[in-house]
This record gives sequence, structure tokens and C-alpha cells, in this order.
Amino acid sequence: MFRRLLIANRGEIAVRIIRACRELGIESVAVYSDADSSAPHRALADRAVRIGPAPAAHSYLSTEAVLRAAKETGAEAIHPGYGFLAENHTFAAACIAGGLIFVGPPPDVIASLGSKIAARHVAARAGIPVVPGETPSDQSEAAIADAARPIGFPVLIKPSAGGGGIGMKAVLDEASLPAAIAQGRREAIAAFGDGTLYVERLIDRPRHVEVQVLLDGHGNAVYLFERECSLQRRHQKIVEEAPSTALTSRLRARMGEAAVALASTAGYRNAGTVEFLLEGTGDEARFYFLEMNTRLQVEHPVTEQTTGVDIVLAQLAVAAGEPLPWSQGELSQRGHAIEVRVYAEDPAQNDLPQAGPLLLYREPMMPGIRVDSGVVEGGEISVHYDPLIAKLIAWGDTRERARRRAVAALRNYPILGVRTNIAFLIALLEHPRFISGDVDTGFVDLERATLVASSADDPPAEAVNVAMAATGIAATGNSAPTNVPDPWTMLRGWRG
Amino acid sequence: MVDFDVTPLGNGRYQVSDGTQQRLAYATGPSASRWVFIDGRTFVVDVTGGTDSKVRRTRDDDMGLASPMPATVASVHVSEGQPVSRGDLLVMLEAMKMELPIKAPRDGRVRKVACAQGELVQPGVPLVELD
Repeated sequence: MFRRLLIANRGEIAVRIIRACRELGIESVAVYSDADSSAPHRALADRAVRIGPAPAAHSYLSTEAVLRAAKETGAEAIHPGYGFLAENHTFAAACIAGGLIFVGPPPDVIASLGSKIAARHVAARAGIPVVPGETPSDQSEAAIADAARPIGFPVLIKPSAGGGGIGMKAVLDEASLPAAIAQGRREAIAAFGDGTLYVERLIDRPRHVEVQVLLDGHGNAVYLFERECSLQRRHQKIVEEAPSTALTSRLRARMGEAAVALASTAGYRNAGTVEFLLEGTGDEARFYFLEMNTRLQVEHPVTEQTTGVDIVLAQLAVAAGEPLPWSQGELSQRGHAIEVRVYAEDPAQNDLPQAGPLLLYREPMMPGIRVDSGVVEGGEISVHYDPLIAKLIAWGDTRERARRRAVAALRNYPILGVRTNIAFLIALLEHPRFISGDVDTGFVDLERATLVASSADDPPAEAVNVAMAATGIAATGNSAPTNVPDPWTMLRGWRG
Repeated sequence: MVDFDVTPLGNGRYQVSDGTQQRLAYATGPSASRWVFIDGRTFVVDVTGGTDSKVRRTRDDDMGLASPMPATVASVHVSEGQPVSRGDLLVMLEAMKMELPIKAPRDGRVRKVACAQGELVQPGVPLVELD
């Protein structure tokens, strides 16, 4: 095992990886931008290096700055986390060229799976069905329209280089195509520096089910079962769970084997995720290969909680050349895990991202609850990065028990100073369709109005009473709440 | 309306009781925008007016044509003097990897464009003024 690891990321995932380093006795090196000089990931690591100004393009996305930091600190390996440079094959190649271990798959595998065309060829070679679609070689509006017509509307336009739902547009008819292409391309360029667009058939009411795989450098390959990620808004996941309510054990095994076959065919190594669209439920359901994410996923904890496997530790072991310690037969799912993504955003304003100070921030602590976060009270949600505050993962021996735990924990998760989606998430977890497990990727957008309404009422009398009785703080941003009594704290029985 | 006893527990925590049932709440922030968390819901309450405390909930219509958050102006789609219809795109902002369109809330004419492409804008400052 290497002795020093640089984490080329920030926020909750940087903190997650630093914790894994602690456990293994590896020295962790954090990198941070000027906007993160007081961020928890900087403070928690054994060493920290400033890599540039706030904009990600000049800090967390700068190969040069990250490699310089690795060199300065004598790091032997780099973990890219997710987002930023995680799926950038040029970066992975530069790490290796610089004599560093890249914690992830080989650069050429990232490149081939990162291209949706090449990835589909891999799937075809592995004998796995794909959703009809293509990246037109001529990227003009007319050529994209020509490509969309035989696929048949509605179609989905998405960045060829991207992920995470950024720049992805559902297009119902040909008339709306030009606007979708223009906006999709701008967002693709802004997020990935590449405006190439991909067009594919939109499958009606599909589920998004993905399979976690792990492959080592000794020919061992296993799947860690599925994650159900159908709860998305505008193609971005907000609730993930394992196992999926749609899978029978036969289908689960078939999808797991397909995922391993695809990864093996691609020459994959380390942890990866094969995403499928699922049409229907039960043994008759059909699954289509969507894409393979060549990195650690945001939602990896639901797999960790149900399989008992620490995926980050496994990544580090594989990167260090060790064999996987278990065979497929030794792996199983136990109980049920649900992850919710807590975002700084305002559901009442169409999920508009929110930036601001965390005046008060207290994570719930109760049985079966895990919170992965990268923020602290007194810190700030910055305008420069993704508005994810934390991931809350609830485990239970049944799905219903996990669900109730998640709701109870969210009701006890005060975050003050920025608006969050906590009330929205509670409404989502309490929705009859979620309770029954009947979800698809259109569910959140379809039920949006109901979910927002039940989470955005005027304050009840008790909230107003508390506001009146509360000890105020100066309106200067980062100061933490104080315990100094003021006349308001003496108030009792205010009539609201 | 029900009477609620509010007891400070320190460090932003409060116990709220209606005489039988008690619950935990959290609050902090200045009196003009005091944040309260209770039962998984968050509210911002203006308590500067004492008993006439009002609810302050930022919405598109009372924000006018300002950015709801710090953002970069990606593009400006109107010029001064130009007539616009409700729903027309006025300014496209970009923040946190997302595009945020600022649209005309009503029909009118552009009196002033107060932002330029590439500019970093702060929340609350009008980007476009309509007659």
C-alpha cells in the first residue's frame, strides 16, 4: 500500500476519502481553492495545499495545479473522487506519466467508456442491449434533427462527454429541438469543455437501476448488486436505494452478470458503475445499458450499508495492486438502505441553488443513520461549487424501517442560513407512491407541485413563537449562534 | 390560537410546548430574517415588528428582476427601449453549473439594462428595469 495519497476533490467526498486514509494509516493530502481555505476537508487532512483561486477551472479542474501539489508533497497516489477530474482520461494519463498511481481505471478505458459511442460498442461486444441513439458526427442542428427523426420523438439530447444530468434535455417534438440543442450545448461546454451532443430514444416511465462492480488487476471481478436511482429531478438523482423494489433475484443476477461482462470486456479495473434503464418489473423486465461511470459514485454508501463492503477501501487496495478479498458467492445484500441528497436549493423556486452561511448546522445522530458531509456550522455554501450539503443514508432491516429512519433523521436535521430541500425530501419519502416502491424517473417531476406544496407552507404559530423568543445574532454572516441571553429569551407563552 | 411556551436550551435550541406535547426547535439569525427549524421544516421570519411579525418568503415576483443568488451573467437578450412580452428571456445567468433564465414577469418596455455579459452579479440588485 502507498503511504501518501492526494485527494483531488473537495466537500463530502474529500472528507470520505480522508477518513478511509485514516483507517488504513495512509497520509492524506488535501487540495483547496481560495474559496475553501476554511473548509473541513482542508482541516481534516494530514497536509493541505492551496491549488488556486475559487473558480474550479483554475483550481480543482487544473491538472497542472493538482500534479504540482502531488509533487510538492511527495504523494504516491491520487484519488479523484467524483466530478471535477474524475472521468478525465488526460488527467489520469498525466498522473501515471508523472509516476503516480491513479485510483481508478486505466486512462484508455476511461476514454473509451467516457465516449457514449465507444461505450455502446463495448456493450454490443459484451452482448448487452442498448437504448437506440447516436452522437451525430456532423453536429449541426440539421444533422442532429436528422439523427433524431429515425429514433423517434420524444428524444433525449445530452452532452456526449458529460454526466449528472447536466445539459440533458428531453425534447418532445422537432419544433423544440433547436432551443434544446442550443441550451444543451452551452451547458455542455460550460460544464465539460466539450459541446458534442448525443441523441437517444426516451423510454417511457423507465427506472434507472445501476450495478456497482469491482475488478482488480488479478482477473477477479464481482458485482456489489444494484442501486435504484429512479428518483431524479431534471435527470439529477436525489434519492437512491438498495435493493431496488423492481428486481427479482433472477433479474438481479442477470444484470449483475451483464455489468461484470461489460466491465471485463472494457478491460476495466477498480470500482465502477454500470447504469441501466429498466422497462417493466419482475422477471419480464428489460434492461438497456445506458453508460458506465468510471469512478466512485455519489450514492456508493447505499451499497456499502447493504453489503458491508467499504468501496473506498477496496478502491485503494485495488490501486495498490492487491487482489479483491472476496468472491461473488461471498457477497450478499442485507437489509435496505436509502440515501437522500441534502442540497442548498429552494424547491419553491424550481430548485434554485442557494448560497450562504451555515448559521446553524447539526447532523442527526441516531441508530442506522450515516451522514456524509463536508461542511460545518459557521461555514458557508459557496456559489462556486455544487450545492450538495450532505448525504444522509438510513439503513433498516426492511425498506419501510429504513424509510422511517430517514424521515425521522431529516426531521431532526436543522440547517439554518440557507434554504435546503429537507422538507421536500420528507414529502418525497412520505409520498404513497414512494412508500409502495412504485417509482420511475419521471415521478419527482410529475409529483413536484404536490411535493413542493406540502413542504412550503407559511410558518405555523409555534415557528413564529420560536422566532420571537430566539436569541438573535448580528447580521454579519459567519458568526455562530451565541448563548448570551437577551430579553427575548425571557419571553414565555407568546401569543402567536 | 394555541399558546406555546418557548424555553431556550442554549446553543440555538429551543423547547416548544403547547402544555402537553413538547418539541425541539432551532433558531438563529438577525431579527429581520430569523431562521427557525421545527419538525423538518425551515422558516424565515421577520420579527423586527414585534407582534406584527411577518413571514418573509423570497419569491420571483417580489425579487423583481434581480438575481436570486450570486451568479455570472452568461448573456443579455434585450436592449434598452425594447418592448418585451411576459415570459420573454431577458438575461441568462449561470451559477453552480446551471443556467438560470431571468424572464419578463409581464409585458412592458425595457427601461434600463443594468448588467453586462461576464459580470458577476449579487442577489437583490435589479438586472433589468421594465417600464
